[in-house]
Amino acid sequence: MCYSTILTFASTHQVLMAEKLLLAEGIPHDIIPTPKNISSDCGMSIRVRTGGNNIETIKSVLSGHSIGFAIAEIKN
Amino acid sequence: MKTVDARGQLCPKPLIMVKKALGEIAENESLEILIDNETSVKNVTRFLEEHHMKVQTEKRGETYRLLVSKTGEIPATTMAEDYCEAPAPLKADYVIAFQKNTLGQGVEELGQLLIKGFINTLPEMDKKPGTLVFLNTGIFLALKQSPVLESLKRLEKEGAKILVCGTCLDYYQKKDELGVGIISNMYDILDELSRAGKVLYP
Repeated sequence: MCYSTILTFASTHQVLMAEKLLLAEGIPHDIIPTPKNISSDCGMSIRVRTGGNNIETIKSVLSGHSIGFAIAEIKN
Repeated sequence: MKTVDARGQLCPKPLIMVKKALGEIAENESLEILIDNETSVKNVTRFLEEHHMKVQTEKRGETYRLLVSKTGEIPATTMAEDYCEAPAPLKADYVIAFQKNTLGQGVEELGQLLIKGFINTLPEMDKKPGTLVFLNTGIFLALKQSPVLESLKRLEKEGAKILVCGTCLDYYQKKDELGVGIISNMYDILDELSRAGKVLYP
């Protein structure tokens, strides 16, 4: 079974900030609409392509810029 | 000559009517079959040919007239339903035309975020687009460094046609950086748009 890691945020502005930071760090990711089973809000999320390996880097990068986020794992 | 009028009938009805009619005529006697759709013509022809009967077909207006001579027998055990063509897979008859590298009107960074979400969702759709067209700044979405390249490649691999405006690639001097799809011209692009059941402009 294949899982993806999804990062969800409180606001679209935070998604944009997080995207810039991940780009700067060269962390592969995709912008996707927040999956319906995570939230019914009309929001965007970030799917991290390389799975769990990068998650600690991501946590430190985003927390360092005071971006609040949640991590969800979904089945592909 | 006996006639089977199967106009307005859908599979397997024409096949059942033909099978019944053949059982009622003598060997080498001719049977005329009238059908009004091409799929049924194909199904009936295959049904007859596999039972060693030669079919002559002519089209008059909307009606196909099939002429067959009873040179074979159709066993009672043959199921007409087996000769119905499998229903066509959910065919995408819509085209998406990307005229810029953002979605909707408004602040650019939001438009860029939205278009990424839009394209990354397409591979998950049950009904995928048949063709994607990229025009003007839309071509940036199809370049090697595009953030949505993986999703576009996946769509292409699954059968979507991806047309990228050659004039636009030339204008922005990005021909060498094309990452997905084929370089196209306005004839092909307009041809696709005019044939489409629906065109979406994100």
